[in-house]
Amino acid sequence: MKKYLARRAVYAAVTLLGVSLSIFVILRVLPGDPLVAILGVEGHARMTPADRVRIMADLGLSDPLPIQYVHWLVDIGAGRLGKSFFRGDTVAELIMHRGPITAEIGVLALVVSWLVGLPVGILSAFKPNSVPDGIARTMSVLFIAIPGFWLGMLIVLALLFWFGYKAPFIIVNMWEDPWQNLQMVIGPAIVLGLAQGAYIARMSRSCLLEVIGEDFVRTARAKGLREGLIVMRHALPNALLPVITISGVLLGFVLGGSVAVETAFGVPGLGRSLVTAVIERDIIVVQNLVLLYAVIFVLVNVLVDLSYAWLDPRIRYS
Amino acid sequence: MKDPYSESKPTRLDRRSFLKRTGVAGAAAVIASRLPAPGAASAQDATLRPDPAAKRGGTLRYAVHNAPAHFDVHQSGTVANIGPQSPMYDTLLRRSPKDGQTIIPDLASKWEISPDNKKYTFHLRKGVKFHDGADFTAEDVKATYERIARPPKGVVIPRTPLFATVGDIVVVNPHTIEFRMTESRPKAYMLGAFASGWNIIVRKKTLDDNQGNLRQVMNYPGTGPFKHVSRKDKEVWIMERNQDYWNKGLPLVDKLEVYHFLPFTPELGASFLSGRVDYARLLDPVSWRKAKEMQGVTAASFNQSVIQAFWTNMQKNKALADPRVRRAIHLAMDRHTLVEVVKDTAPMQVGGFVYPFHEMSTPRADLEKKLGYQKDVKPAVQEARRLMKEAGYGNGIKNLDFVVRDIATFKLWAVAIQAMLKEHINIESNLRVVQTSVWFDEAQAGNFDLAISAIVSTLMDPSDIFSAWYGKDGPQNYSRWTNPAFHDIASQIERELDDNKRRQLVRKAEDILENDPPLIPVSYEQIYDAYYNKVKGQNPSTYFGIYDVVRWDQVWLG
Repeated sequence: MKKYLARRAVYAAVTLLGVSLSIFVILRVLPGDPLVAILGVEGHARMTPADRVRIMADLGLSDPLPIQYVHWLVDIGAGRLGKSFFRGDTVAELIMHRGPITAEIGVLALVVSWLVGLPVGILSAFKPNSVPDGIARTMSVLFIAIPGFWLGMLIVLALLFWFGYKAPFIIVNMWEDPWQNLQMVIGPAIVLGLAQGAYIARMSRSCLLEVIGEDFVRTARAKGLREGLIVMRHALPNALLPVITISGVLLGFVLGGSVAVETAFGVPGLGRSLVTAVIERDIIVVQNLVLLYAVIFVLVNVLVDLSYAWLDPRIRYS
Repeated sequence: MKDPYSESKPTRLDRRSFLKRTGVAGAAAVIASRLPAPGAASAQDATLRPDPAAKRGGTLRYAVHNAPAHFDVHQSGTVANIGPQSPMYDTLLRRSPKDGQTIIPDLASKWEISPDNKKYTFHLRKGVKFHDGADFTAEDVKATYERIARPPKGVVIPRTPLFATVGDIVVVNPHTIEFRMTESRPKAYMLGAFASGWNIIVRKKTLDDNQGNLRQVMNYPGTGPFKHVSRKDKEVWIMERNQDYWNKGLPLVDKLEVYHFLPFTPELGASFLSGRVDYARLLDPVSWRKAKEMQGVTAASFNQSVIQAFWTNMQKNKALADPRVRRAIHLAMDRHTLVEVVKDTAPMQVGGFVYPFHEMSTPRADLEKKLGYQKDVKPAVQEARRLMKEAGYGNGIKNLDFVVRDIATFKLWAVAIQAMLKEHINIESNLRVVQTSVWFDEAQAGNFDLAISAIVSTLMDPSDIFSAWYGKDGPQNYSRWTNPAFHDIASQIERELDDNKRRQLVRKAEDILENDPPLIPVSYEQIYDAYYNKVKGQNPSTYFGIYDVVRWDQVWLG
């Protein structure tokens, strides 16, 4: 087990190093001048070459690229994660302030996806090709196909024009005002959760269909067990492994999807910060947020792998 | 909704206040009839006073872009700074919030201008304190204006050219300061520059402590009506009433909450329409029209200090260097349709090379009779085709690189312009949509044939735009255009002190620009604001731009 963990840790570190290098290089070769956003259009137009040199040096952008990369890694090691080009806020502060709301949306979306996807998958698997199965499959495809940001905008507009309602737009943490907080996160969580729920429904359906054809399920039926008991005690645990695996992958989609969905709902989470940073060419914020998302994704997938042994005692890591 | 000011009743009317009010009313009427006058009338004895009917207290929730790239107002050119920061600062002079035009005293209680317009003496208020408790003196004004007129290295201030003729700035005593000019400039131009909302007065010590760069200093002390309380980036900036404000009785609201919303976004519209904010600035047309239909809401529109245009690169493309080709492109534009194309995205109006609402520019009725501005484009297109033929491009021009800023209005226009050019004068172009910062890189490096964007000015005065937009080395002369006759007239306009003569010169300059266009005007922007009628004391319909009148000291909640 220890050996396995060490191996996974090395893989994770290499992956993250690769991500950091890629994002660092990509952001520096992309065209566009961050000084336009910093100085504004008029200021940028009036900037002299000497001003440019001075400002680039102040921002740490005049160092050679390898030095800039090493500085960044040192910053990460020290937990500072660098400063935004613009207002001087550190990225660590940004993450501390906005991270909880995005994490809440991510977790809630996963809960929604399981709460919706699993029952639908079970229903479909145990009544294959029935009307409810047809409806469930159609709805699954629909929710996979509909872009989250579009559905989000529809929900925002529908609530506004039918009920004159708009969710709060200032971050309110759960421990400060749970009701305001819920209003803020529930919309994005449902939109993201429904899309992921559709994947889970399809995956659990196909896994269950495979499992219920197995001998042990036939034996359970022959023993006269109730269908519900067969599903819950025998079939489902054996069909869950792939579903859990895909949940880890889906978390990546949830994080990625939160970028667009937070923007659509106007939730000031990390996803929206990433969009703004990209628009402003605030490369320090972009590279740190992308790396954070990568760290979360890698960690979740390691945890998913580790959970296999707990879920299926036959699996050994040696 | 009635203008709240028309409802206010004076408590006492003596001969002096009668004359004063009559004068103000007269000036307002003149301004309203000829909107807006350049560097409008200045009124030295018109320090802003609270509306007698006003009630004190409450929280004003204001929605605007409040996420600046940095905090240095002097170095900025965006509403993201002015929106949240202006209420914390004062300027030497200011534009009256009653009409957005008349220049009234602010930290300078009065001023004198020498007969040759070469010396401006400002008498400063006594007893004014910065938010950190320090006394305000002429040294602070000197430090502020030295920085604006002659910025230190690494500091870029877009308003520097307005003060190009400022020589010595002399502190006469702690409450008197003189600006000695190397050359005279029209009064309206200079007073407009001093009254610009960008030129906030900051402490000398603040500038010294930060080596003259305030980009990353979030809360530096001002003397303004509101004091900083807290700020959450891209969420809200909260300010409270400055109890020690020099203008006793102001401000009227206890708390100001400035919420962050990007301009023209559905989010901004939704926050206003759902009643989560009291006042929204830069609404999208769809939300604004919806607001207009709502009971208890005022939807106001006013002129913005921005031209939307596209540039023709004269250095890269030989054909575009020919004035006849550029005139043909200018005439091939169906401007009324272009305004219509973006009507649900941003409010626009037709105009030429000078702000169409400026008193020195060709009046709108006359402009719309000219080729290029008529609703019926046939005569203009005919003339455009003739010019193309005459210039040797009767068969058109192919493969122009048309660089488009990645913003909804420009993308919509670019497609329409591309079609108009093709259909009217057989010019074919390939659209290249790029991110904003890339657009400016490309425009400044000259990597384009056509490039569409928008540019802003500080003043409505033609001298400001003639140097920045059309000047030989103007920072926004992306076409690399030169015309000696124009530059000569522009220089005369800059120095001419007589308004009538200036007007004639401006019209001459317009004629040159019409025939040898340095850029192709697409339209002029308007601003859509909306507010619930409980917000009193604010009437933006005659304002010019969104940068000069953003103090909120006169606003109260009914």
